[in-house]
Amino acid sequence: MSTKVKEILAVVAITIFCLVFYIGKINGWETIEFSFTVSMIVISLLVLSLVWILILTIKGNLIERRIVFLFVGIAVTLPLFMGISQKISSSPEVVSLYESVDALPAGSKVLISFDYDPPSAPELQPMAEAFIQLCFEKNLKVITMGLWPQGPQQANLAFEKVFSSEKLKGRKFEYGVDYVNLGFQTGNEFVVQRMGSSFKSMFPTDYVGNAYNDLPLVKNIKNFSNIDYCFNLSAGFPGTVEWIQIGVDRFGVLLGAGNTAVQAPQIYPYLNAGQLTGLLGGMNGAAEFEKLTEIPGKGTKFMLSQSFSHMVVIAFVLIGNVAFFMSGRKSMLEGNEE
Amino acid sequence: MDHFSLWLAAFLTLGIISFLYKDNPWYKLTEAIFIGISAGYWVVTLYWDNFYGKFWVNKGEEPTLWIGAFFGFLMLLRLIPKVGWLSRWPLAFIVGATSGLWLMNYFASNIMVQVQATIMPLFSTGYGTGFDADFATIVANFVIFFGTLTGLVYFFFSKEHKGAFGVGAKIGIFFLMITFGASFGYTVMSRMSLLIGRIDFLFGDWLGMIQ
Amino acid sequence: MKNIFSIPILVCLVISIPFSIFAQEKQSDSLIETSKVIAEPATSLIVSDYKYDNGNSLKLNWVPSIDDQLPAGKVTGYELFRSVNGGGFERIAEFPPQKNSFQDDKVEIGSSYVYYIDALSKDTATSSAKTELINPEREWFNAGKIPLLIMALIIAGSIFYFIETARRGKTLFVRKIAGLEAIDDAIGRATEMGRPILFIPGIQDMDDVQTLAGLTILGRVSKVIADYDTRIFMPVSRSLVMTAGRETIKAAYQSAGRPDAYSDDMVNYITDEQFGYVAAVDGIMVREKPATVFLLGAFFAESLILAETGNSIGAIQIAGTARPAQLPFFIAACDFTLIGEELFAASAYLSGEPKQMGSLKGQDVGKAIALIVILIGVIAATFSTAWDIAFMTSIYDFFTTIFSVSK
Repeated sequence: MSTKVKEILAVVAITIFCLVFYIGKINGWETIEFSFTVSMIVISLLVLSLVWILILTIKGNLIERRIVFLFVGIAVTLPLFMGISQKISSSPEVVSLYESVDALPAGSKVLISFDYDPPSAPELQPMAEAFIQLCFEKNLKVITMGLWPQGPQQANLAFEKVFSSEKLKGRKFEYGVDYVNLGFQTGNEFVVQRMGSSFKSMFPTDYVGNAYNDLPLVKNIKNFSNIDYCFNLSAGFPGTVEWIQIGVDRFGVLLGAGNTAVQAPQIYPYLNAGQLTGLLGGMNGAAEFEKLTEIPGKGTKFMLSQSFSHMVVIAFVLIGNVAFFMSGRKSMLEGNEE
Repeated sequence: MDHFSLWLAAFLTLGIISFLYKDNPWYKLTEAIFIGISAGYWVVTLYWDNFYGKFWVNKGEEPTLWIGAFFGFLMLLRLIPKVGWLSRWPLAFIVGATSGLWLMNYFASNIMVQVQATIMPLFSTGYGTGFDADFATIVANFVIFFGTLTGLVYFFFSKEHKGAFGVGAKIGIFFLMITFGASFGYTVMSRMSLLIGRIDFLFGDWLGMIQ
Repeated sequence: MKNIFSIPILVCLVISIPFSIFAQEKQSDSLIETSKVIAEPATSLIVSDYKYDNGNSLKLNWVPSIDDQLPAGKVTGYELFRSVNGGGFERIAEFPPQKNSFQDDKVEIGSSYVYYIDALSKDTATSSAKTELINPEREWFNAGKIPLLIMALIIAGSIFYFIETARRGKTLFVRKIAGLEAIDDAIGRATEMGRPILFIPGIQDMDDVQTLAGLTILGRVSKVIADYDTRIFMPVSRSLVMTAGRETIKAAYQSAGRPDAYSDDMVNYITDEQFGYVAAVDGIMVREKPATVFLLGAFFAESLILAETGNSIGAIQIAGTARPAQLPFFIAACDFTLIGEELFAASAYLSGEPKQMGSLKGQDVGKAIALIVILIGVIAATFSTAWDIAFMTSIYDFFTTIFSVSK
């Protein structure tokens, strides 16, 4: 059978698989969850496969990169079917952020800047949802904005999710009084700079076109001095660094940050220097914050997949190093023979 | 999400992922759709947030915006070769204004505050607390101190890396590489998180196999 | 005769007993009433404008209540009240005992304020006299940032000095940077293989100094490719960078005496969207199969995707960025990496331009100052904390004051 035929058969098989389960979903099929025994069998098979790859590598048979992709895909996918939960502890920087928000009296105004787009949502959206829910549970007023174009729509998605949560059932939140979405503004760090003197000049209307002065929550907010706390969710530039440089160091804003794991290492120096009140780093930070606030969400749900994928990556790094040293030894031996 | 949106999102997701197998028409189609939509999205967003929001809703309240609009118009003159030289003025303004803002921001936040934060007693948890640091804290303090010093030595371009200076630079590069390794590990976590999000969409939202 | 007054006296005595008890009880009630704890108020509450700010701070000082003594004073704390523009008073802050000052940062220029402070005891709150009406003032200059100004002048002054020195023709020494020699070899490789060069100047705009550094190196690369007649592709994600890139390459071809060989199609705008740009560049890499890939500028999450794809097509890759989060990927996937400031040093080294060389040397002065200050400061902090040596304490205080940044 030629490769092309195999590829076509594979695509057909995957399509049929997807159709069957999609139709099943519409017909109300139950979700799949592996029992503890099945989960252990799956984990054992995965470990044995990795050992087999190590043995092949030692024998000199190098695997191709697509096998690595496949293993990573399996490591990420299978834990989502397992009913095992991972133990989550609380880092000092996450506790510090929680305590900063906990210390705010009811009625305090919290500004949340959504500086990310949908590609970073798996890490930052759980943080946003947990943070907004915490604010509403503590009767704080929430104002959202974004330095990235899709930031405000992520804010709206977070509000929708939070309003449907169990803990806030029965409570009514009025737009313009309890929360406002000011929308996106171009200009990157210049927006933060300008907000230091006037919020209204940067956001003449909110996300849906209401005039700034028509919104009771924000009409008396002139600049950062009328805001009690800022929380920045950032995936890159513009983001936390700009908020620290301008918001914190120039205007004295109290700032907490939630960053993608890529950005978190470069934000730690600012945390250590006291320029941040707390930091949530990556999905791990999101899971820890969900645990502290007792608001379980996707951060907690995905941690097992995260751990599995890390173990597979570590295994392949070790296998890769074995291959590297074996190839070096082989060329040395060949050199000696000559 | 409705059926069409779900299948379209899944089709596009799997199209991009198919690149891992090899380049193929499905990936090319998805790539073209993504590029086209992203360019169009920016045009629409910039129109509504910049032109409409600033000049229609807010008309008259911010006269300085008209100066910015004029500069923006000058930028577009680049398309006309005869007067294209006029676009250098707004470009100079952008580069100059950004440099000026970044100069003091980075200087204050990334240099002054960081130098102040690095000046710390090595055997204490804070200034004036005496010998109260445990072993782990003392090691951490020494790592920060030597890492900062040797890192600065490595990036010193006015002296050749020879002798004691060279040794300091070599230690600095070790600290840098360890830092990059830790940063790489954090980034692996970030990338895995994004993949988990997509897999959750495919198996959860689309196929309904997981909760 | 029996005393005829004894019975009336006895009756009066009996009647008066309840009254005396009642009177005593009444007396005890008033004793209970007068045993409430009342603290003396705080005194000398003075409000003044906080100097050298934008008119959004006021300073308050007061003398704590005479009943505020530790450990067993009557005062349990203080509450501060403020009236804005003659309106009602509202509580704005509370403090523990012994506190005698506060800075109100939530005032606005153009408004007027009046304050008073309550001394709290277990049962009551006693108010101080109100302050006079005050309007916050804005000053021209923030004296709290003088240390920042001095440091900026020292470093800027060094930069200007070295730029002038370079302009006068003096050679400024810059150490050898690994990876720079590889540029010419990489271009030669592409020419020999008959495959194009791919140059990616990052995904940021012209306001990012890394993009400018990348374009400076492009100038050098363009000169070589103009001489060797090697093809170049330069997909960009910002329109201004496209313009600057075209000008750079065109100038190189003109100075090589081959203006007809230049084409605007060498530099193309793709899209501003990050991953849309990456998808397009990946496609170009896989289809055009460049022999050499330059990744010089500001990169974000796309860095590993670009470097990995370049690695998979067998291209030689020279990368450089000042974004620390992306450096690990370039180091892992590229043949040569310019780490952080080495990108700017390479740009200065290759162009030889006095401004760039002078800037580099001036920055070295800043680094030297930071190095010396950290070294001496840490030694001073360690000694003064451990053995309380006054001289060391002075050095520590001096450095932390100089390098503090007030708001």
